[in-house]
Amino acid sequence: MNRNKQTEILGGVITAIILILLIFLSNVETNKLSYLESVASSIVNPIQRIAMDIKNKIQGNSAYFSNMDNIIAENEELREKNSQLETELRDLEMVRAENNTLKDYMNLFEKYSAYETIPAYVINRDVSNFSSTLVLNVGANDGITENMTVIADKGLVGHVISVADKTCKVQVIIDSASTVSCTISTTSESIICKGTLENDQILRASYVPTGAELIQGDNVYTSGIGGIYQKGIIIGTIKEIITTSNITDRYAIVEPAVDFSKIDTVLVIKE
Amino acid sequence: MKKFVIIVSLIITFFIIYFLEVNIFSSFTIAGIKPNLFVIYILFIGLYGTQFWGITFGVMCGLILDLIFEKTIGISAVMLCMIGYLGSYFDKNFSKESRLTIIFMVIGSTIIYELGSYFLNSIILEFDRELLYFTKILVVEVLYNVLLTIILYPLIQKIGYVIDRNFKHNNIMTRYF
Repeated sequence: MNRNKQTEILGGVITAIILILLIFLSNVETNKLSYLESVASSIVNPIQRIAMDIKNKIQGNSAYFSNMDNIIAENEELREKNSQLETELRDLEMVRAENNTLKDYMNLFEKYSAYETIPAYVINRDVSNFSSTLVLNVGANDGITENMTVIADKGLVGHVISVADKTCKVQVIIDSASTVSCTISTTSESIICKGTLENDQILRASYVPTGAELIQGDNVYTSGIGGIYQKGIIIGTIKEIITTSNITDRYAIVEPAVDFSKIDTVLVIKE
Repeated sequence: MKKFVIIVSLIITFFIIYFLEVNIFSSFTIAGIKPNLFVIYILFIGLYGTQFWGITFGVMCGLILDLIFEKTIGISAVMLCMIGYLGSYFDKNFSKESRLTIIFMVIGSTIIYELGSYFLNSIILEFDRELLYFTKILVVEVLYNVLLTIILYPLIQKIGYVIDRNFKHNNIMTRYF
């Protein structure tokens, strides 16, 4: 009695699983089932091959065996060649990676050729969730001093806040303690861009003059006021203008040109 | 001698945690938010070691973090020192056997550490305090820390007993009476 019940339940479960599988399979597009096809063919094909071999042998095709020695020799030769090519490929890959970084530097150099710059790598990022600093692989030995401007290929990154012998610490403009004085490209109004905790890909532009006209998509540049950042380095574009009931309170969201989560090569501007 | 070995291995643990935090947890984030393993580390030294070692490790680790990452030197040191003291305070007043109390300790100390360092930073660097976004980040970070504590608790407890036995070799029972 009990056993019957068990088999009943088991049967029901198996049927349900099969039905669910069927529903899934019937909804999957056929080209997504190509792996099933390959599974099937990999089961079938070896057997098919053996069958073909037997058939050939019966038909008197003995060339297969007489060529065995040649094939072994050829195989060894090819293997040697393969390993040679692999080492060559590895070398080429290294060269390619080097080429890419050099190209990055070239672009950076051409873009900011007016400034004398020092190239650097980002070697460390802040572990805190509430601030954002970078550590670069250049320091006092390379001629870095405090308050130097740091840029990337697309725009402003931040400024150096402290220098060690071989490394330096950079405060990024998206840090909540960072403030940059900027100008808007079309109207040349001056605003102040601050980092915010809200999102690490936006800046908040506050202290907008009451008469100023803000246009979405305008470029924002550093104004050079304040003495840390050089004049005319692009920061980003105005993404959104938020108007409040009081016009003096209104602010804009600026989207930085640099993607700070992926940044790895930067330039430090020598003053 | 045994004490010395334990202290050296604790220092090595700090560097392991540092590399975990910098390399692994910077990509294993919950909604872009990293956990703070240093708070858990110092809390447990205070909890299982003595007050002196909790505070010493707190100050030293905080100073290292300040020197590597922070814009101001000393705030992490002060806050982690407080966490070390808090650990020994918890040790005197609460039981370490229950997982729930440990979780509450981690929640409390993470909140105290982050709140303290954020407000001290905002006073020194004079930036606007964004309480809403701060709270949002803090809640996720606390949850992540609790999750890690739950996962690591058996390991921490085992190591903790070794430290406890060697640092407070005097009569464990008498502490409660």
